[in-house]
Amino acid sequence: MSSEDMTRRELFKRAVAAGLAAYGLGELGLGGLSQADAAPAPTIAVATKGSPVDLVRRAVQGLGGMGKFVKRGNTVLVKPNIAWARKPEHAADTNPEVVAEVVRLCKAAGAREVKVIDHFIDGPDADVLRISGIGAAAQAAGARVLAASSMAMYQRARLPRAKVLKSADVLRDLARADVFINVPIAKVHSTTGLTLGCKNLMGVVWDRGAWHASASLDQCIADFAAHYKPDLVVLDAYRILLSNGPKGPGRVASPGVVVAGVDPLAVDAYGAKIMGRKPQDIGHLRLAAASGVGEISLDRIRVRNV
Amino acid sequence: MSSRLRALRRASQLLFFAAFLLLFGFAAHLAKARGPVPPDLFLRADPLLALSAMVSLRKLIFPLLWYALPVVALSLVLGRVFCGWVCPMGTAIDICERLLRVRGRRPSHAPAWRRVKFYVLIALLAAMLLPVGHRSAQELALSQTVGLSAVYLLDPIAIVTRTFTLVVLPIVQRVVELTSDSLTVFSYSDFAAQHMWLSRVLNPLQFGFSQVKRPVYFRLSLLAFAVFAGIVALGHLARRFWCRNLCPLGALLGFLGKVSPIGLAVSDKCTRCLRCMDECKVGAITEDPHQYRGPECISCYSCIAVCPESAISLTTGEENAGRSDEVQLDRRRVLEAVGFGIAAALLPKVDWGVKRGGRGVLKVSGAKLIRPPGSLPEDQFVTACVRCGECMKVCPTNTLQPALGEGGLDALGTPVLVPRIGPCAQICDLCGQTCPARAIEPFSVEEKSHLYLGTAVVDRSMCIAWAQDRQCLVCDESCPYDAISQKELEGLGRPVVDERICVGCGQCENVCPVQPQGAIHVYASGDRRHLSRQEQEAYWAGAQQELSAESPYPGL
Repeated sequence: MSSEDMTRRELFKRAVAAGLAAYGLGELGLGGLSQADAAPAPTIAVATKGSPVDLVRRAVQGLGGMGKFVKRGNTVLVKPNIAWARKPEHAADTNPEVVAEVVRLCKAAGAREVKVIDHFIDGPDADVLRISGIGAAAQAAGARVLAASSMAMYQRARLPRAKVLKSADVLRDLARADVFINVPIAKVHSTTGLTLGCKNLMGVVWDRGAWHASASLDQCIADFAAHYKPDLVVLDAYRILLSNGPKGPGRVASPGVVVAGVDPLAVDAYGAKIMGRKPQDIGHLRLAAASGVGEISLDRIRVRNV
Repeated sequence: MSSRLRALRRASQLLFFAAFLLLFGFAAHLAKARGPVPPDLFLRADPLLALSAMVSLRKLIFPLLWYALPVVALSLVLGRVFCGWVCPMGTAIDICERLLRVRGRRPSHAPAWRRVKFYVLIALLAAMLLPVGHRSAQELALSQTVGLSAVYLLDPIAIVTRTFTLVVLPIVQRVVELTSDSLTVFSYSDFAAQHMWLSRVLNPLQFGFSQVKRPVYFRLSLLAFAVFAGIVALGHLARRFWCRNLCPLGALLGFLGKVSPIGLAVSDKCTRCLRCMDECKVGAITEDPHQYRGPECISCYSCIAVCPESAISLTTGEENAGRSDEVQLDRRRVLEAVGFGIAAALLPKVDWGVKRGGRGVLKVSGAKLIRPPGSLPEDQFVTACVRCGECMKVCPTNTLQPALGEGGLDALGTPVLVPRIGPCAQICDLCGQTCPARAIEPFSVEEKSHLYLGTAVVDRSMCIAWAQDRQCLVCDESCPYDAISQKELEGLGRPVVDERICVGCGQCENVCPVQPQGAIHVYASGDRRHLSRQEQEAYWAGAQQELSAESPYPGL
């Protein structure tokens, strides 16, 4: 996450935004040039109809390809949702094929090392990786799969701009990675309404129980999202969990969608839409938007259907 | 010929000890890779454990019988050769005596102490036979009783397995953990970052350690250590003090060996130097070196090896006249042993232990007496369990711990769930696969949804959501059986448990962020072991039917 990359990404974002602004306005007839002027509207790519592998490829291509994010020799940290020992068809963990394709794209873009890592909730680690299918799939794609189950893998970090979560024990791998890609799955969540990208970041933290015991879990998620912004978010909505989330088993639907974007909130907002919820109704998304993490109003987000 | 037999015996001891360690390691780490040899081979092959389980439970247990019979046959032919050549406890004592230079004093010839092991065996037998419990609520006839199996206290294979599980494994695992963590911290250091080649060494090493690393903490480790250390320390009084004086398995095998046709003969070359008597590990040779006590001899053949005249040899039949097979038991002491066994069997039952209500339901027990899935009803469970610790060793989440006071005196050391240490993983069936005594009967992963161990109860005075009006439903999130739902109250979800579906796996208690004790606890109140598996399944199926009628998503 070097500053050089940030600038490049920023440039790219602006370029796409400018290019699409006219298109978007013309297409949708959305008024309010003044609104569009306030900040460049974020763009997300939404891929529908196809296999998980195909969807990921098209969605990332829709943002300009993985080469925009991963440079030759980079170390990439891929953070799927591997919380539970559930099979892919239960939609409690990120689809293994989605994870594998993200890994392959990173490798193809020249990544030196791709780490697939999560702090599982279920155990034992080997069973979680086996049942979720992510262990074998990611490994076959060339990733190094790590269970972040040891306290030695975390490091205390201060979150200076936080309202509630003043510090957290964060994965050391995150600070050392050149590129951080968040690969959540869209599910309902008993505590936070939905779990999408921002909520998925709890899996790079050791002492997440403290978030629940804090004054506000939603604010903790928003605080963390404000300090740890992924370079790319690939949201898996190939299958979604509509009841008994986050662990299930529950009602599973298959929208067959993958959303990619750089603005974490824009991706989450679109994810909320897929889940049939208003982004503003999800506490942590609203709080994160208030902290300026990104854009959650759907009419201000540019959607590229690919 | 002379010292070759001893070398062979030592090789056999090391080989079997290595096998014991290997199987121990397999059971601790690769229990799923089931090979042709069960990881609990030594426990199954122990005739005393098999005898105790079958007599006290009054039923034939074939998985034990098939493995124990060869040892019985071996003893009938060769005497206590198991003690000298195979027993991992005997080998562990030999190794410790050698390493720690424990040399017993010149052996005492008074046979009094030697008889103790026979009295111990008699007391154990009396306890096994005594009808101290009932098989189940439905079978109250005297013929359907269970005895007390106290062999776990004194069976050598149970003791040595327990020592390895409760003492050696945690220490090894702690070393693995420290090494793994040190490597991990080092791999993140600036030094490692500057020397990229290091990662080629560190990554596989870290991976290896992470594969072996498991959470292992056990209660009663110190007690298990003290028992084993005590057994070794007794060697100061006489070598293999345990084997010669106390071991009830040795007594049993020695008794069987009385019919053995093979024995030792001393030729006329004997000069009565008595070196054989000094060297004999168990003091089986009398002051007249032409005589020895058959039931004591563990066939170590040290006597043959040290005899300067090569006067001692293996023989069969009549030449075997120097062997005395008499076990001179004092009738009075035998009666005392029987009395002691009866008292030992009854006292735990009238002490602070579990009491049952009319229909076999647990009525008085420790609130946290949570047994592993597939466990027999409590009376049978404490009878069958040999406290070997195999289930605790294979348990991947470390939730299985030796009971302290939860089930009373006669449940000491039996496995109980301690959810704050780990949950009973939904996808695991290892304890049932492993239990050599069938105290935990095999079960499938699918059956776990209706093997009721207990029920979770929310402590609303501690719960973050209930007591502090804050967002927290961690218990609801991680419940594998979806037994916890949220009750909307003043705009905030509060966890409630559906006791019809909650099986008491303890996942919720494990993940509850309220430190240190949690605000949701599994209690024995939901224990349904007094019901058959069919009845439990029917109860569960009924609950599922009721639920699908309530559910907003029918058909789930």
